[in-house]
This record gives sequence, structure tokens and C-alpha cells, in this order.
Amino acid sequence: MAGAAEVARLDRLETQIENGGGGAWEYLCLVRKLKARRSEKVLNHGLTILNDPKARSRLGREEWTLYEQVAIAAMDCQQYDIAKDCIAVLSKEFPGSIRVGRLEGLLLEAKGSWAEAENAYARLLENSPLDQAIHKRRVAMAKAQGDLSGAVSLLNKYLETFMADHDAWRELAEIYVSLQMYKQAAFCYEELILSQPTVSPYHLAYAEVLYTMGGLENLQTAKRYYASTITLSGGKNTRALYGVCLCSSAISQLTKGRNKEDKEGSELQSLAAEALQRDYKQRAPKKLPLLVSMLKNMKLN
Amino acid sequence: MGAECCYEVSQIAYIKLVLHALKHPSAAVNGLLLGRLRQDGAASATVEIADSVPLSHSQIGLLPALELALMQIEEHFEAKGLSVVGYYHANERHDDEELGNPGKKIGDHIFRYFPRAAVLLLDNAKLAKLPSGKGRDPVVQLYTRDSSKSWRQAGSDGSNQLTLKEPAANTVLLDYISSEKWQEIVDFDDHLDDISKDWLNPGLFN
Repeated sequence: MAGAAEVARLDRLETQIENGGGGAWEYLCLVRKLKARRSEKVLNHGLTILNDPKARSRLGREEWTLYEQVAIAAMDCQQYDIAKDCIAVLSKEFPGSIRVGRLEGLLLEAKGSWAEAENAYARLLENSPLDQAIHKRRVAMAKAQGDLSGAVSLLNKYLETFMADHDAWRELAEIYVSLQMYKQAAFCYEELILSQPTVSPYHLAYAEVLYTMGGLENLQTAKRYYASTITLSGGKNTRALYGVCLCSSAISQLTKGRNKEDKEGSELQSLAAEALQRDYKQRAPKKLPLLVSMLKNMKLN
Repeated sequence: MGAECCYEVSQIAYIKLVLHALKHPSAAVNGLLLGRLRQDGAASATVEIADSVPLSHSQIGLLPALELALMQIEEHFEAKGLSVVGYYHANERHDDEELGNPGKKIGDHIFRYFPRAAVLLLDNAKLAKLPSGKGRDPVVQLYTRDSSKSWRQAGSDGSNQLTLKEPAANTVLLDYISSEKWQEIVDFDDHLDDISKDWLNPGLFN
């Protein structure tokens, strides 16, 4: 998951290249590192380098990585001929390579030839049954054909073997959310938090799912995880600050008339509200009145 | 609802929602529709969809951002005499032409406050044909809630018409598409990631 600073650097490079300032190769490497999806630009700048024999030879062995990157970008832009050409070059250089075989499968997918792609992947899996990327392509294919329950069962099976694959847990959680299976999504985030307890996006996502599920216990837990997100992100996460306020408001609605517990809770809410107002005053002053009014309404509730 | 009801979408609302979908081609996106009810006579009314606010391009099934957005958007537009009259949605997959459950649920919520609520679903096939045709038709499908409480696509029984208020809206839309205007659009999600980004998108069409 790319941080805001790195994404900003990516954007800067994009502008720089557009203005003729160079930096295409740096850009392409950064896109690869961040796993960003900027296929049009990658295709454009990548092809410029590949079509220039001098620039290509300067890359040395990285030339092949670029062919792969451009092939995938081409598929994302429906430029199947370009993808095919890149794959042909790679196939010649690396005959029998499973990595190239995966690209060929990907091209079949891109064209919508699901059955052929499935066969291609099955063949590759015969020789490399533990190839994680291919297993995940099968999940992607199910998803692309709208078979979400199929994708879910494939992913679950995959995670039985490859339970340390955080990306897979995240993908599964997101599919569950889109199916409104929030309890299952929560389970995925619990797994992620257990294995990587200091990664704040997992705390945040978990809190958001719990809030969506509702109910007093879930709201109280959500509030705790919004709080841990704030701690882990140095107090700067807007969603988490808002989340604390939303939880506090919802909890007080549910506990109206009961004992006023949780003095610590109301301190947290005030701190969060203050932090939001400070931030809006500085960076989004036009929206401050709306924020203040909203916070007032939530406290009255 | 047996009464005739027409839905009229303004250019601003319409273009914003299409641009929003184009900015995030590999994700589902959604947003709110703002407008008012105009009584045309004893038996007919028109819902004027005057504006739209893009909401999300990720994790659409989650509540917190939706609730925050509803509170702030309702308050902001109340001052202009507009309220939330509907919801728009664009599916993740190109060939998915159905209004899924997350969209229906949000639609249900809006329906509770505005019984003539409209749900607009982006029609990818129509959008793809836009450059070639001379279409005056909007590239969205209208869904409204019928008496059996389910969301039905309009046009199947002749009632509940959707029209574009400005007939040249598609021409203007095509213009913005070719100039890649969709890069500039901001949704509530973007605002939560960076509050200096304004979900009102002022100056988008200047």
C-alpha cells in the first residue's frame, strides 16, 4: 500500500516527464515498486524506451522487466497486439519460462478467453503447483466473470495453504464487504492485525467494518480500533478521527438513560473533535462550518 | 406510487457522475444526487436532479464515510433549497448491468426520506457507444422503487421517464472526456484522504 508521500513523488515524476524533463525510467521503476496502476502512462513511456535501441541497451538485463511491465500495461489498455509482441520477445529470450507462461495466460484473460486461460493456468500449475501468482489469477478470473462466491471459495482454499499472504486476506475482506458479509470481512482483518499489529490501515478497516455491523459491543470495539489507528498514524488519520466521533455518538444513542460510564471515552471524543477542527481550520477552512455543525449535532444526540 | 413522475437531470449532475466513473475505471463508484420536487399539476411531478456529489471509489459497502457524507452534504445543500433525492452507482465490471445490493440498500435509506428517490446506474454499453452515436439519451439507467418495495428499471412499463435537462449534455460530456477532465474530479473519499480536496468540485467546469 503506497504512502501518500510516494504517490506524490509518482505524480511529480509524471508531470516532469510531460514537461520534457525526463525521468521515465525512474517513473517506471517507482510504478513497479508501488504496484500502482497507471497503465496508459506506463505504456506510453515504456514503449518510448523500448522502441529506442540505444535507450533499450542502456537498461541491460532490466530490459526484460520493462517488456513485462509494458506487456501488462498494454493489456490494461486493450492494446493486445503490443502485449503479444512484448510477450513474443520475452518468450524468445526465456523459452519455457513459467513467468512468460503467466503473461500468456494474462493475455488470454484480457481478451476474455476464460476457458483457454483456465487451461493455460492448469497446465502451468501441473509443473509448479505452488505458484502463488497463478492461483491468484484464477481468483481474479472468477471475480472478472462476476462469480464472487466462486472467487471467495478459491481464495479461502488458497489461504489454507498460503496463510501468510496479506494481500490475499485483504482482497478476501474487500470481496466480503462487497457481498455485505461483514462478519467474515471482520475475521480477515483480525487475521491481518494479528500478523501485522502495527499496520494502521488494518486497524482502520477493521473499525469501519465493525461500525457498519453496528450493535453496542461492535461500536465499542470499533472505537478502540479507531483509537489505535490514531495512535499508529501519529494522530493524523482523518477517517479515524471522524470514526471516534461517529462511534461515540452512536454509542451514546444506544446507552441513553444508562449509567454514564466511560469518562475516558468522552475525553477521546473531545480530543478527536478538536483535532479535526484544528486540521480543517488550517487545510479546509471553507468546510469548517459544516464540520462544526455536524459535531454539534452528534454531541446533542 | 401510481402518480406520474418524471426525472430531469441537469448537465452538471450528469457530467460529474460520468467523469467520476471514468476516473476510477477498475472500481465501483457511487455518489449522491441533489435536487428538488417540482409539482407540475394535480397528478404529475418532476424530480429535478440539480447536482451530484461523488462519494466513493472503494469499499462502497461500509457505512462511516457514507454517514459523514450524508450529514455534511445535506446541511450544505439545505441552504440552497436542495435535498438528497437520489443516488448514483457505476459497477466495477464492464458487463455488469444490474443494480447490486449495496446500491439498493443505500437507495432504500434515501427512499425513507424522499419517496420518489431515483437511483441512476451507469450504462457502460451506452457510454461506450457515445462517441459514435448522436445520442441524446442519458448513459444511465433509472431505477425507482415500485409498490412492491423493489427497485425497478424505468421504462419497462412506460412510466417514470428520465430526461436530460440540457439537450446538448452528451456533446459537452464528450468534450470533457476527450480533454480528460475526469482527472480533476474529487470525491468524498479523496477528501477524507486529504481534506484540502473539495468534494464540491468548485471550478471543475470553469
